[in-house]
Amino acid sequence: MNKTKNAAFAYSYLLPSAILTLVLGIYPIAWAFRYMFYNYKGYGTARFIGLDNFTRIMHDSQFWDSVVNTFVYAGGKLLLSIPLSLLLAAILNRKIRGRQLLRAVFFMPTVISTAVMAVVFFTIFNSYNGILNQFLIKFNMSSSGIDWLGPKHAMLTVILVAVWGAVGNYMLLFLAGLQNIPEDVYESSSLDGANKIQQFRFITLPMLGPVLQMVIMLAIINALKGYESIMVLTEGGPAGKTEVMFLYLYKLFFPVGGSSASTQVQEFGYGSAVAFVSALIVGMISVIYFYASRRMNRID
Amino acid sequence: MKKQLLLASLSTVLAFGLAACGNSNTAENSGEASGSGNAPGEKTKISYWTGDRHDADFVKEKVAEFNKTNTDGIEVELVVKGDDFDTALDLSFQTADAPDVIRVKENTIGTFYKKEYLAPIDEYLSDEMKAKFPEMANLNTFDGKRYSLPNYGTTMRLVYNKDLFAKAGITNPPTTLQELVDTAKKLTEAGKADGAYGFAQNFKNPPSALGRSARVIAEMSGFGGFGYDFKTARFDFSGFKPIIEAFKQIKDDGSMLPGVESLDIDPLRAQFAEGKIGMYLSFSSEPGVYSTQFPAKIDWAAAPAPTIDGKAKGASGFLGGQWLALSSKSKHKDAAWKFMEYMYSDSILTAYQENGYGISMVPSISAAAKTPEVNGIEGFLPNQYDGVWPVYPTVAPEGMKSDDAFFKYMLNGGDLDATIADLNKRYNAALDDAIKNDGLKAEPDPGFDPAALAGKFAK
Repeated sequence: MNKTKNAAFAYSYLLPSAILTLVLGIYPIAWAFRYMFYNYKGYGTARFIGLDNFTRIMHDSQFWDSVVNTFVYAGGKLLLSIPLSLLLAAILNRKIRGRQLLRAVFFMPTVISTAVMAVVFFTIFNSYNGILNQFLIKFNMSSSGIDWLGPKHAMLTVILVAVWGAVGNYMLLFLAGLQNIPEDVYESSSLDGANKIQQFRFITLPMLGPVLQMVIMLAIINALKGYESIMVLTEGGPAGKTEVMFLYLYKLFFPVGGSSASTQVQEFGYGSAVAFVSALIVGMISVIYFYASRRMNRID
Repeated sequence: MKKQLLLASLSTVLAFGLAACGNSNTAENSGEASGSGNAPGEKTKISYWTGDRHDADFVKEKVAEFNKTNTDGIEVELVVKGDDFDTALDLSFQTADAPDVIRVKENTIGTFYKKEYLAPIDEYLSDEMKAKFPEMANLNTFDGKRYSLPNYGTTMRLVYNKDLFAKAGITNPPTTLQELVDTAKKLTEAGKADGAYGFAQNFKNPPSALGRSARVIAEMSGFGGFGYDFKTARFDFSGFKPIIEAFKQIKDDGSMLPGVESLDIDPLRAQFAEGKIGMYLSFSSEPGVYSTQFPAKIDWAAAPAPTIDGKAKGASGFLGGQWLALSSKSKHKDAAWKFMEYMYSDSILTAYQENGYGISMVPSISAAAKTPEVNGIEGFLPNQYDGVWPVYPTVAPEGMKSDDAFFKYMLNGGDLDATIADLNKRYNAALDDAIKNDGLKAEPDPGFDPAALAGKFAK
């Protein structure tokens, strides 16, 4: 009886969030699942077209270009943000003056809205009157400035902005992991003659394994799904150079305007199919990573 | 345990309470819908949604005046949306929170009609109004029913920096593509030392950039502005070839403002107002922008867009034919119409033009209203080249859209003929699909003469 009562309590607590998940999570997914097989532009009758949307994806070079861009963007973001945040965490885990303030400062970008952050960075990086170019020109480091958001540098710029936004968050997670490593392990290794680098390589990294695995996992998913700051900075341009998978998807549902009605046609059916394939790609990469990194979860 | 029980009950009550609130709200609204919900003295509240910002102060003032003076107890809430207007409207119709009156444009009214957002207004139109406001197929009338009435139209022009022209020793704005390329080069030579360049467009959004530049050059030269040929009822983008090549030449010459790839229209205007841009092409909303939003520090003017070879074989698009529309979901259609009737009154339409917010497309207003007192507007007034083009068909081609493909060529080069052939193939496939499955009507008109469209609005 007591067990039944407890279960009833548990379910009653779960009910509100279950309803929200059902309405805001499951229902839209079910909606998208249905429309994957339809040609639907948001008006008129949705027309069943079987697997045509998936055949279209196979030949959609814009989509596959966006997948490649996503890998470049995510790869760049991970390669820079993970070591940087680990380094920062290691430094700020030491007893240095002002470390609490520094932790707050580095964490601050996580609190700021991505759109606001991107607008600020736009004023720094834009080529025609950006702060960075004015600085470079003033101090004779460049004669006419650098086209930071142009075809050659746009991807690098959006990666740098993403790294700035992510480092503080991962740093905090690493910091929590570092604080769980017992101090006496370091002390005994010192007695055995281990230097700082050896301590980091043979104690910190292995004992941080589970946290590292989780942080990288989060970072991979976030990087593959991220598009908000890119939308503000470049809208995926120039000429698709920074168009990532989820930005391409967003534009299928909410086209970026123009004066032709044709540039504003919403593709709900095709967009749903692209959403499914994109989710599949993110899911597959996450599973592969999880499988490949399972050793990190063991603290020997 | 009691505490847990209490919390659980509270959560359930709150969840159901929220649902119940929704229900009671619906019931209240249905009561209003029947016309019996309003208590005596209670106002009938309607909402008007617009995406226009250039006339926001004027419209706000007129709405306040209507709320104060109307004797029918109607209160209008004005909602000015940003670039998310279409998305917000879609959501509002999904959530039964749709506005009563909607601002429609030439590139949205067709879609809103298909989405069944609009209600016909024929039953409200007096004979006088029917005669006063021109009926325009697919611009305000669909399948024989009227859904909106015109107010102002938008012309497209080459906007140029007179100070920079004088500095470069150039007296006249370019009239051909070659002159456009050469002028951009000369202006850059004269202004580069001060950070000024000959030409710019807002290429952060290629459809917006080419929709206000390549479009008007193509239309003036006799080609459909979005690649559609009304004579054959097929897409043929070959008319864009010299235009895109000229833009690429300007970029390759170094005569285009650095960073145009990330330039939106407002930052472009801000740069022009500062004197950093020699020329660009845009709509007749620019004079208002330079008098209030970005006060121009330079002397500037507007001229007809250049043509491919100096010969005007078509008409410079005069865009408009619609303004306000009645929402199909409005529960207060009579009240909404009263507000629309007020907004379409002679005094407001006349003031709209005279204050420089737009150029009237209503013949009786156009004949009587004075020229707006806004610097630069004279260059935008309808001339012998302006004309209303038929509505271009809306299609959804697979793959890259024409504007993106052209901008990609401008940046990376490649085979423009192959790009055009590919666009023709994909757009015509989408056209055939829309004809077959969406009931789109696209009939060839061998006698179509784009030059005959021009000049009908010139004073």
